[in-house]
Amino acid sequence: MSHSFELARGLARLASQVAGEGVRVEPAGGGPDGSLGTTDGSVRDAITRADCGQGVVVLGDLGSSILTVKHLLEEGHTNGHVRLVDAPFVEGAIAAAVMSSAGMELDDVARAAEEARGANKF
Amino acid sequence: MWRGPPRRRAVPTSSELEVELPSDVALHARPAANFVKTAMRFRSRVMVGVNGKTADAKSILAVLALGATGGTHLSLSAEGEDADAALNALATCVSGLVE
Repeated sequence: MSHSFELARGLARLASQVAGEGVRVEPAGGGPDGSLGTTDGSVRDAITRADCGQGVVVLGDLGSSILTVKHLLEEGHTNGHVRLVDAPFVEGAIAAAVMSSAGMELDDVARAAEEARGANKF
Repeated sequence: MWRGPPRRRAVPTSSELEVELPSDVALHARPAANFVKTAMRFRSRVMVGVNGKTADAKSILAVLALGATGGTHLSLSAEGEDADAALNALATCVSGLVE
């Protein structure tokens, strides 16, 4: 989830390519008219599309997009297995998608995303 | 006074093993994830080295960053109570990897 739909879509494509077809990576974000921002509806729809029954990990680009997800989770619009993770956007998404492709449990996928914080690029 | 048999303690051990990736499998995407998933089953600290670079075998991003291509030699090392078992499992995992 990003303030920019293009950013979210680009990352979703990258993560899908690295992790393979077995993982659903769904972009969300941007305002209704193509402006920057995040809306409850776009995030909720993306969570629904991504949900295969074993859990959903949600990553956001910046702090205020996180508030949108927290709001959704508090309202109970998800069925309890949606995990918002505090992770670097790009590295966290790649780590989560790849670990998910190996059939890891939600806890392990979420942990892999959060541990991406410690990975050096070089 | 008889105190019973000496108590066995789990002694940390270290092991090393060289394995070769199948010629047609790079350590990326799902193969890397399966490798990491195998390493995570063990308590030992497990490292994997490729061409002088070393990564934590339980970190998917670190393993991806190695960029190991098909046929590459991997230097596995483990430290901990289940080091031998970890390396044996990883050797089996690596030889069975498919794209």
